[in-house]
Amino acid sequence: MIVALLAAVALLQQIDSSPPHRPPRTIAVDERLAVDAGVRLGDQLIVSRAPGGDGDTVVVSAFVRRRADPSEVARAEYRVRMHLGELQSLIDYGDRVDRFALSSVTPATTDSAIRRINGTAFGFQAYRSRDIAVETSRTFLVVSRFHRAIGVITIVASAIFLLCIMLLKVDERRRDVAALRLMGISAGSITGSVMVEAAVVAVVGSGVGLALGWVSTLIINWHYRGVYRTPLAFALVTPDIALLAVTLSLVLGLLAGFAAARRLVGMPPLELLTGRHDDRRPLGVERAR
Amino acid sequence: MLFRLAWATLARHRSRTLLAILGVAVSAAMLLDMVMLSSGMRESFRHLLLVRGFQLRLSPKGTLPFDTDATIADASGVIRILGGIPEIDAVSPVLGGQLHVARGATTVTAAAIGGDAAVQGDYEITEGREPVAPNELVASDDFIRAAGVRVGDTLSAAAGYDAQFRTFSGARRLALVGRAHFLYTANEQRVVALPLATLQAMQGRASHDRVSFFMVRAREGASVDSVLGRIERAVPRVSVISTEVALRQVDERLSYFRQLAFILGSVSLGVGFLLVTTLVTVSVNERLGEIVVMRAIGVARGRVVLQIVLEGTAIMLVGALAGLGLGMLTARYLNSILASFPGLPAAIDFFLFQPRDAWAALGMLVIAGILAGIYPSWRGASMPIAVTLREEAVG
Repeated sequence: MIVALLAAVALLQQIDSSPPHRPPRTIAVDERLAVDAGVRLGDQLIVSRAPGGDGDTVVVSAFVRRRADPSEVARAEYRVRMHLGELQSLIDYGDRVDRFALSSVTPATTDSAIRRINGTAFGFQAYRSRDIAVETSRTFLVVSRFHRAIGVITIVASAIFLLCIMLLKVDERRRDVAALRLMGISAGSITGSVMVEAAVVAVVGSGVGLALGWVSTLIINWHYRGVYRTPLAFALVTPDIALLAVTLSLVLGLLAGFAAARRLVGMPPLELLTGRHDDRRPLGVERAR
Repeated sequence: MLFRLAWATLARHRSRTLLAILGVAVSAAMLLDMVMLSSGMRESFRHLLLVRGFQLRLSPKGTLPFDTDATIADASGVIRILGGIPEIDAVSPVLGGQLHVARGATTVTAAAIGGDAAVQGDYEITEGREPVAPNELVASDDFIRAAGVRVGDTLSAAAGYDAQFRTFSGARRLALVGRAHFLYTANEQRVVALPLATLQAMQGRASHDRVSFFMVRAREGASVDSVLGRIERAVPRVSVISTEVALRQVDERLSYFRQLAFILGSVSLGVGFLLVTTLVTVSVNERLGEIVVMRAIGVARGRVVLQIVLEGTAIMLVGALAGLGLGMLTARYLNSILASFPGLPAAIDFFLFQPRDAWAALGMLVIAGILAGIYPSWRGASMPIAVTLREEAVG
């Protein structure tokens, strides 16, 4: 009997001392990594904390697609998602985590929860998700300011271009304007007609510009989504942007038309006809005569 | 005579000429800025990497320096191996971490760099001296300001927190022996540097004989590529990154700005070209009578073309020169915006003026001006003389 008991204990000890059989844990893999490394669902991989080091065998159970997060767009690194305990054990991290995400009972209790946590915390701090979002989006605020500055330069260039074109268009019709003035058409009517023409040019031009801009956004998004492998939209034409562009173009066009028309109708019609107005000095060869 | 005629034509339409010059100046400024942007970051980063003469960086396999928390084990062994390569002049080990200094009820936290003061390449001392003894450190202006300390003070600092026991871990008393300007850190970043062994000891077992990366300087005259190859063979568990590889990585991460620069630069060039083409075309149409009279009295077609092309070129040239000044001003403004990029070394300039690039940009504009004038002037100079004269005379 005693021998039988000892044999049973020895057997149990033997069972206890053998390593427990544990199926490989599962892992979710970044779909870009899956494509680049040819990984398929169900594949067994060895993950380790250092290249060539000892690791754990895991089974690929899912592919994950990166969110459209602007803060990650320029980082080409791959990502895998593991069970917390598995990662802690793999990198010898102990019972530690980098951060916790908490959900408060109601939005109103968030502040008091933050106060209570920070009152008792040591070595860590609670933040509102909103504050973290503001901090992590600083990069995009900088890019946004840069784009705005470039936009202002572009608007200045466009305004000069538009003014130049309107000046040329009006100047080209010097004789027509002179004839109209001699027929008794008022300066206001001529200015008005030039401004209507300028408005039409500006609106049609901004319409063509919007269409070009929209096609450009399609090309830009297609190109950068491919380059950065992200679903992020890099360029957008929103109704607000379209309205701003058309309004700005219309205002600039009207101003340019007004300036050009006033310059022309301010001159005596006969000078316009002969081309001898103040702004036109005779050529050097003519002076020699 | 040719120049005089061109000048007279431009002076005849002063407001038109001034507007055209202004338009070209804005286009030139934009083009110059975009050329500066496309090459500036790269050159600025290259200069930064080589400022202390270290051409190679060794980081944990598959990573870039300080890109992850990974470290290189057996650092002293790696230094020994590198010491055996005769083409290597200096090896600077660097360990990254954090340093916490209690200040009243709050804690001032700074990025900590552990290194060897004799061969470090991370900072320049601006006041005091290098931290040589185990209990010494130097700090950036921002840290000194935040911690309210002065050179000569002694600080109670720690490398981490032990949340379980609610105490600091790796606490030490360190003497602040200098103020330093850190080369690779961002604006307003609080940074301290202390001896490598001190930081390793403060971080505990996890950092024993570990470093984040090494910086390696090859001897004068030695081929950097050959040194790189020898290191890769001798220490296969690290990634050896040359300046060119690092620049490629930067190019990849900041490719957006290069592409933006290319697109906006092309648009600027196109706008300048279009502006001058329009002006010259209208100018030629207006002066058809004058042009055919010149042809009728025996002025050669080439000479007429040359005169009109000169007008376009003059507008482009004056506009481009004005754009040079305007471009420098706008570049400074745009650089001040991008300089606030979080995490980017303060020494990086997005817009770096390089005379060769600037002249190339302005040269492109002038060529565009010449091309813009050729077609309309050729068309004007090729009009049938008799028919055009009659049409112009009759109206």
